[in-house]
Amino acid sequence: MHIAVCIKQILDPEISPRAFKIDPVRKAADPGTASLVIGPFDLNALEVAIQLKERHGGQVTALTLGSDKAKEALRRALAMGADQAVLIDETQVSAKEPSVTARVLAAAIRKLDPVDLVLTGRQSGEWDFGQVGALLAEELGMPFVPFVPRLDVAGNGLRLEREADGGVVVVEAPRPCVASVTNANDNVPRLPKVKDIMMANRKPITVYGPGELGLGAAEVGDEANRLEVLDLFIPEVKSECEFIEGEDGAEKGANLARKLVERKVI
Amino acid sequence: MFELTAEQKEILAVVREFAEREIKPVVKEYEPYDRYPQPIVDRMKELGLFGLTIPEEYGGAGLDHVTYALVFEELSAAWMSIAGVLGTHSIMAYVIAAYGTEEQKRRFLPRMATGELRGGLALTEPEAGSDVANIQTRAVRDGDAYVINGTKTFITNSRHGTGLLVLAKTNPNAERPSRGMSAFIFEHVDDVPGFTVRRDIHKLGYRGLDTCEITFENVRVPAENLVGGVEGQGFKHVMSGLEVGRINVAARAVGVARAAFEDAIRYAQQRVTFGKPIAHHQAIQQLLADAYTQIEAARHLVLHAAAKKDRGERVDLEAGVAKLFASEMCGRVTLDMMRVLGGYGYTTDFNLERYYRDAPLMIIGEGTNEIQRIVIANRLLEKYAL
Repeated sequence: MHIAVCIKQILDPEISPRAFKIDPVRKAADPGTASLVIGPFDLNALEVAIQLKERHGGQVTALTLGSDKAKEALRRALAMGADQAVLIDETQVSAKEPSVTARVLAAAIRKLDPVDLVLTGRQSGEWDFGQVGALLAEELGMPFVPFVPRLDVAGNGLRLEREADGGVVVVEAPRPCVASVTNANDNVPRLPKVKDIMMANRKPITVYGPGELGLGAAEVGDEANRLEVLDLFIPEVKSECEFIEGEDGAEKGANLARKLVERKVI
Repeated sequence: MFELTAEQKEILAVVREFAEREIKPVVKEYEPYDRYPQPIVDRMKELGLFGLTIPEEYGGAGLDHVTYALVFEELSAAWMSIAGVLGTHSIMAYVIAAYGTEEQKRRFLPRMATGELRGGLALTEPEAGSDVANIQTRAVRDGDAYVINGTKTFITNSRHGTGLLVLAKTNPNAERPSRGMSAFIFEHVDDVPGFTVRRDIHKLGYRGLDTCEITFENVRVPAENLVGGVEGQGFKHVMSGLEVGRINVAARAVGVARAAFEDAIRYAQQRVTFGKPIAHHQAIQQLLADAYTQIEAARHLVLHAAAKKDRGERVDLEAGVAKLFASEMCGRVTLDMMRVLGGYGYTTDFNLERYYRDAPLMIIGEGTNEIQRIVIANRLLEKYAL
């Protein structure tokens, strides 16, 4: 079984809000001194893939679209248990919207040995579009199952659980297919072992440019993007504290309800 | 000065994640009750931490002492006792790797790297701590074995570990006592006749970890377990191992002091007195600035000693200086950071009292600082001899 896992290197979401800055000119987050990590849901996807490999054998390929720095994310994926890593150099790619990212990833996946399953995180953890998985399935002509916390082999296909409002939907899908993974208690990303970190640093990382993937400016250049970020800012949060008056709990409750109605909260 | 490689950074990042996710949240389940943290030790085995500095050809990670020191700092910033699980294990592994025969390396190091064989150092005796030359434990050759008799005390990892490096006298009549000592690799995976863990020693800090008094009564150790296969080298082997030990103890002091500082600077920005956060009072700022300065200075001393060790140079002076400075600094800083937290720092609701209780271990252990000063002074007089 060959599983491709698409990951993205993002600014550590755990940094303090004060350390988070926006570059108003580029209309993008300013990395500053914050560390870069793999998107949290992408880590869940990696964990699901590695567990599946451990149960049924096969190989896992981690892919990312990013700068040279993104090799660090791929090395973490290798240390966790991925067998190969592919970096798609973003220098010549303008991926302002998920459709371009999906197009690039799909082209790279087509260059791999045939895959049985493609996993993504349910959303990147920074822009949170949550669209790459579905668009990737469209590009690859495969079925797509979103919000999957766990899955397993079932006959020639796969049996996947999909989180839904108030419950879980169990579906079967043929191989190959695409799934986006959400977090669950049984897919908490493992910490790599010291020796695996060292081995990961010795494994080669395949690097593709868009040209090698058969993609030109029309597919991955600025003109391929229909989305334009007009403004990007950190919303100002104001808070004020008001004590609700009343003789007892019931009166305070009634007064609170009245205020909430007045302010159109309820 | 100490630019880390991507590999070193990643290893430290993983150790930090491990400490954050799996040590810090559970310290209070073990430390107050002096309970051994077996699940944490099992996870350390899985992560390969027991093989950190064991050469790769013997199944370890073969890491340098700079990474080793920084790993000890990270673990100690979470809970210093956890660094203790690795401390003397790593010294025993170092001695075997540096001075053992090829057969000994192949027999012991791969199992030490996985943590299957977890080691310690049986050096101190009731009448011989810093005065190592005065040890009374005897090892007498009898056919294909040595028969060991004696009592050792303050032996970390001796109850829950499965191996010890035992220093014993093989020639009590040697002209220089240090030349009459030998080091033995002793395994006690199963019950060994004559080997007894007499009692667990209860301590001010460094809790949760087994520190015991042990006795050897006619314990037979195979002659092939004599480190290096030659008698009379044990003192030299152990002293060399203690250089590594002093680096790890100094790194632990940096870790504990850092944890105290980080807790205090966070608290100082939240706690309000006289209408403003106490971090804006100059009295508190002085304490914080001094603490940070001393921690940084200590870390540089530790890494300097570690880097020199990695270059294969003698570091008894540098490791001693780092141990002396870092441990005294840790004692001061933990008390000063307790001042920042005021009464709360004195309660068990916060971690500061634990850091404060753990700090003296680094001052007293691995050679008291009083002995440390003598070693340093002797080296200086040698270096600057007229």
